[in-house]
Amino acid sequence: MDRSTAGPGASRTTRRLGVLFGILVLVAAACGSSTSPAPSTTATSAPTDAPPAATPSGPLVLKVATTANVTTWDPIKSFSTEALYMANIYEPLLWVNPPGAADQFSPGLATSWSTSADGLTWTFKLRSGATFHDGEPVTAEAVKRSFEAAADHAGASFIWLPLDTVEATDASTVTLHLKYAAAADLIASSLYGAWIVSPKALDAVAADENYFEAGVDGGSGPYTIESFTADKEVLLTRYDAYWGGWSDVQHYDKILLTITPEAVVQQQMLDGGEADMALSIPLENIGQYKTNADFTFIEEPSFFNYVGYFNVDKAPLDNVKVRQALSYAIPYEDIIAIGAQGYGTQSRGPVPAGVFPWSADVPQYTQDLAKAAQLLTEAGHEGGGFSLELTYASENQNEGRFAPLIKDAYAKIGVDVTLTPMQFNQQWERSKGDAAARQDMFLVLYWPTYSDAGSDNLWSLFHSSESPFFNLSYWNDAEFDTLVDDAGALTATDRDAALAKYVEAMKRLVDQAPGLFFYDTKFVMPLKNTIAGYQYNLNYPFAQFFYPLHPAS
Amino acid sequence: MARFLARRLAGSALVLLGLSVVTFVLARVIPSNAAALYIGPRARPEDIARVTQQLGLDQPLPVQYLTYLRAVLSGDLGTSIGTKQPVLGELVGRLPASLELIAVAMLIAIPVGIGLGVLSARWQGRAPDFIVRIASIVGVSMPAFWLALLLQIVFFRQLDLLPLTGRTDADLRFIAPIVPVTGFYLVDSLLGGNPTAFIDAARHIVLPALTLAAYPVGLIARMTRSAMLEVLDQDYIRTARAFGLRDRLVVYRLGLRNAMPPVLTVIGLTLAYALTGTFFVEIVFNWPGLGTFAVRSLLNVDYPAVMGITLFGAAGYVLINLLVDLGQAWLDPRVRLT
Amino acid sequence: MTVASATDPVRPMARWRAVLPTDPLALAGLVVVAGLAVIALLGPAAAPYPEQGIGTTNVPEAMLPPGPGHLLGTDQLGRDVLSRIIVGTRNAMGISVGVVGLAILIGVPLGAIAGYRRGRVDAVIMRITDLALAFPPLLLAMAIVAALGPGLEHAALALAISWWPWYTRLARATAVSLRERPFIEAARAIGVSDVRIIFGHVIPNSLSPIIVQATIDIGTVILAAGSLAFIGLGARAPEADWGLMVAEGRTVILNQWWIPTFPGLAIFVSVLAFNLVGDGLRDRFDPRHRR
Repeated sequence: MDRSTAGPGASRTTRRLGVLFGILVLVAAACGSSTSPAPSTTATSAPTDAPPAATPSGPLVLKVATTANVTTWDPIKSFSTEALYMANIYEPLLWVNPPGAADQFSPGLATSWSTSADGLTWTFKLRSGATFHDGEPVTAEAVKRSFEAAADHAGASFIWLPLDTVEATDASTVTLHLKYAAAADLIASSLYGAWIVSPKALDAVAADENYFEAGVDGGSGPYTIESFTADKEVLLTRYDAYWGGWSDVQHYDKILLTITPEAVVQQQMLDGGEADMALSIPLENIGQYKTNADFTFIEEPSFFNYVGYFNVDKAPLDNVKVRQALSYAIPYEDIIAIGAQGYGTQSRGPVPAGVFPWSADVPQYTQDLAKAAQLLTEAGHEGGGFSLELTYASENQNEGRFAPLIKDAYAKIGVDVTLTPMQFNQQWERSKGDAAARQDMFLVLYWPTYSDAGSDNLWSLFHSSESPFFNLSYWNDAEFDTLVDDAGALTATDRDAALAKYVEAMKRLVDQAPGLFFYDTKFVMPLKNTIAGYQYNLNYPFAQFFYPLHPAS
Repeated sequence: MARFLARRLAGSALVLLGLSVVTFVLARVIPSNAAALYIGPRARPEDIARVTQQLGLDQPLPVQYLTYLRAVLSGDLGTSIGTKQPVLGELVGRLPASLELIAVAMLIAIPVGIGLGVLSARWQGRAPDFIVRIASIVGVSMPAFWLALLLQIVFFRQLDLLPLTGRTDADLRFIAPIVPVTGFYLVDSLLGGNPTAFIDAARHIVLPALTLAAYPVGLIARMTRSAMLEVLDQDYIRTARAFGLRDRLVVYRLGLRNAMPPVLTVIGLTLAYALTGTFFVEIVFNWPGLGTFAVRSLLNVDYPAVMGITLFGAAGYVLINLLVDLGQAWLDPRVRLT
Repeated sequence: MTVASATDPVRPMARWRAVLPTDPLALAGLVVVAGLAVIALLGPAAAPYPEQGIGTTNVPEAMLPPGPGHLLGTDQLGRDVLSRIIVGTRNAMGISVGVVGLAILIGVPLGAIAGYRRGRVDAVIMRITDLALAFPPLLLAMAIVAALGPGLEHAALALAISWWPWYTRLARATAVSLRERPFIEAARAIGVSDVRIIFGHVIPNSLSPIIVQATIDIGTVILAAGSLAFIGLGARAPEADWGLMVAEGRTVILNQWWIPTFPGLAIFVSVLAFNLVGDGLRDRFDPRHRR
C-alpha cells in the first residue's frame, strides 16, 4: 500500500537505506558461504583440486550428457538406468557379443569356461592379474560371494533361480551347481545381478546398507567413481591398475557425465560444446546429424521395443475378435514414422529383433481398416461404439508422440480413445490396483534383463500370474503358458527345440492379440568424429563402454 | 524497535508452523505409492511393503505429522526419493547457484528500474515517459520461460555470442577451477584471482539474469514512477522549488528519497517473485540451482523434496517480508507503532 | 502483483459511465481483449483447420515453416499452429475467468464480512488469509498440482486456491473504510441486518478496485496457467494449451522456432492486453492515480 512520507529527514534515510542494502548483501553472502559448491558427496579426491600434472592442459576428459539417473550404487541391487555407469566400474565373468560375432561370448573376468553335458555344472577359470579398486585381487571367493549376494537379494535375483550352490574350487576357479539346466554363461553375462564385487565392499554393505550410496564402488573395471552429485553428475576417473592396461591407445583419463533429463538440453550441450557425447537427442532433430560432416551417425538395433496391452478382463476387450480388429486398426508405419521418427522396425511379437528367440516366422498385423471394421461387426460391435482409456508414461516423449495416432486411427472405426498420460510409477501402480479402476490399454517401453527374451519378454510380459506384475493384459492362457514354460526348460540343453516352441507360443500370442506389438527401437546417436574406438553392443541396453574410446588422431 | 522485531518474529514463526501443516497435508494427498517411487521402476510387491514400513508410511496421519515436525525442527527435512540424499543438504547445496542468479538479476533490475521510473516521472507526458511505460508493462506481461527461449534463439542460434546452458563450461573445473569461498562463482573467481573463470561464469549468467530481471524492472519502474509523481506533487517539493533549489536537487535528492518506502515494498515483491520465477528460468537454461531441482522434484512427485522446497520457499518468503517490514520500520518510525 | 486501492464509493454508477478509456494503450488492450473473448466463444469454428486445432494429426505435413497454407506453420504432428492457438484461446480464457471468478466468489464475501464485522471474525479470517498469502506466488499452486497430478482442472483448482486471499484482503480494506460512512451507519441505525448491509451495500460499493484487480488478474492467471503447463504441471497432451505448446515446441526450438514462439506470443499478447485494460480502468476509477 502507499506509504509515502511527508517531510524531510532525508539524509538519515539515505544512510539507513545504504546500510540496509549492505546488510542484505552480507546476509546473502553469508548464506552462500555456509555452503560449499562442491558436490554433496565425494569418494576420493575433490574435483576442485588442481588438475593432475599429467598434461599442461589437464587430464583428458570425455564429457557425456545422459538421462541416466542413479537409483542405487549398490551393484547387487542395481536394476535400473545406473547400468550405464556400472558397466564401466564393474565387470562380469563374461560379456555376450553382439549378434553376428564369431563367438557368442568374450572373456571378462573369466578367461575360459565349460559346462557338463547335462548343463547342471558350470566351471569358470578366472584371469590372473585382475584387481579390485581397493587393491584386493579378484579371486574365486569374490565371485562366490558376489553370486550368493545376487541370488539372495539382487534387483534381478530371478536370473539366479536355477542356481543351487557356488563353489570356489581353487583360488582362480569357480564352479556353479544348478538345480536345473540353464544357460549359466548367459546369466553370468547379464547387465544386472552379475557384477563381481570386492568382498571388502560386500562386508561393508552388509554392515551398512547405504555404504555404496555416497558414490563408493567395489568394482574391478577400468573406471572408478571420483565424485557423484545426485541428479546432477557422475565423475569417473581411470583405475590405473586395471588389467587391460592404459598404454595401447590414449584412453580418457576422466569421464564427466552430466545427468540431464531433458533431451533438448542434451542436444544444446552437444551443439554448444558442453558435451562431447549426448546419449539422448530428440529424435525429431537427430536427422540433421546425418548430413553433418563432423559427425558419424550411429544407427543400430536395440533391445528396446514398444508393447501395448489390452485389458482382457474388461469387455469388449475380452472378445478376441475385438482385439484382432483393434490390432488391424493400428497405423504401424505412421507410428514408426512419428513415434520413432523412422528409427524403428515393426515388431514381430514382443521379442526384439536380434535377440533369442526372435523369428521371422512370427506374423505381423498391417493396418487394414476395412478388415478391422469387419471383425468388429463379426464380434457384434458394428461400427465400434465403445470407448477405451489408454495410459502411457508422460516422461516418455516417444509414447507422447504416437499415442495420438492410435486415438485418431481408432476414431476411424468408431472407437473412442481417451489418452491419459501419467508418471510411469503412477501408471504402473494403477494397473495393479483395484481391478475396476484399471486402464483399458497400456503402453510400455520394454527391454529384457539379459539376452534371452524368451524367459524374459515372453514369460514376463504375457505368462499368467496370480497377481499382475508385468503382464498388464491380465491374460491367462494355458496353451501359451505351457509352451513358454517348456521352451524355457529346453533352452540350456536344446536351443533349437526351445526356439521352435517359442515360435509356436509367439504365433499364438499374435493370433490371440492380448497386446499390441508396435516397433523395435533403434539406437541412434551422432558421434563426433573426434572420438574413435566406439563399440556398440545391443546386449547391454543403457550401457556405453568408455574404455575403448580415444581421441581420433 | 526491538519489540516490533520480536512481535514480527513471533508472527512469522506461527505462519511457518501453519505452512508446515499445509505442506504436510498436501504431500499425503498424493495418490501414487511413495514407496514404489522410492525403489524405482519395476518395483516388486515385497519391496514395496518393506519400504512402506521403513519410511513410516503406514502410520496414522497425525503421528506421521508429529514425526515430520520433530524432524524438521531438528534440521532433518527427510530424504529425497529421487536422489536418496537428505533434502536439506540438497537444498542448501543448490542454494548458492540460485542466490547468485537472483542477486545478479536484482542488481540489474533495481538500478535500472528505479532509473527508468525516475526518468519517466521527470519527463511525465513526454516521449521518455511513454517509452518507459510501455517497456515496463511489457516487462511485467512477458512470460519468463518464453523470454528465456527467445534469448536462446537470438543470442545462441543467431548471434552465437553467449552459451546456451549451464553455469560454467564443463572444462573449467579441469583448466581453471574455482576455489569455493562463498559459493558465488563471480565472487569466488575474483577472490581467487581467476579471470578465466570469472569471464566464463559471467558469460553464462548474463541471459538467465536478464530473463529473471524483466518482471522486476517493469514493476519497479512503474512503482518508482507512481511514487515519484505522488511525491513531486507534495507541498514541500513545491516549496523547495519556489525557494529556487536546483531541479536536480529537488527531484533526485528530495523526491526520490521520499519515494523510496513504497519502492522498497515493491522490491520485496519482486524478490518474492524471483523465488518462484527462478524455477522457470533455471529449467530453460539448465541452471543447477534450486529451481531445476524443484521442478524435477515436482514432476517426479518426490514428496519429501516437494515438502522441503515448499517449506524452504515459504520460509524465504517470510524472511523477505520480514526484512521489508523491518526496513520500512527503520525508515519510517511511524510504522513501528502499528 | 499490482494492487488497486479503494475509491470514493458514493456514486459508483456515475463513474461507470465514464469507464471507456481514452488512453490509446488501454483502448488497444480493450480491442485485443474483445478479440480474445470472441475467439474463445467461437471456439474451433474460428480456426482455419478446426480438427487439427483440436488435436487430429496430419503427419505428412509435419514441421512446415510459416507459409501460405499454414500461416504460422505446423508442429511435429503436422497440426496447424494457428488453429491450435485459436482453439487454445478457449482454454486460456476459460481457466482464467474461472479462476478469477471463483477467487472473487470465495474471497470477496469473506473479506467484506471480516472488514465489516471486525473483532474475532476478522481475526480468524485474516489469519487464514495471511497463511494462504505466506506462500510465494505459484509455489502453493505447484505443490497442489504435484499432489493431485497434472491436468487442466487440477491446475485451475490450485490457482483458485492460491488466488482468493488477495480478494479477501482487498474487500476487507474497502469494507473497513466503508463501515464508518454515514449511509452505512444510517442503515445500521434503521435496523437493516448485517447480511443485507454486507451484500447489499458494502460489496457493491467495493466493486471498482475489485474489477480493476480482476481484469489484471485474468492476464496474470493466463500467465500462471501457461507457466504451470510449461513445466508439465498443467494441461496434458494432446490438449491445445498455449503453455503446453511452448513446452512441446521447446524440443525443436533451434530449428523449428515457430512451434514454441507463436503460442508464447499468444500468452504474452493476452497478458499485455489485460494489463493495459486494467491500468486504464485504474486510471479511470482513481483520479489520484491518474498518471
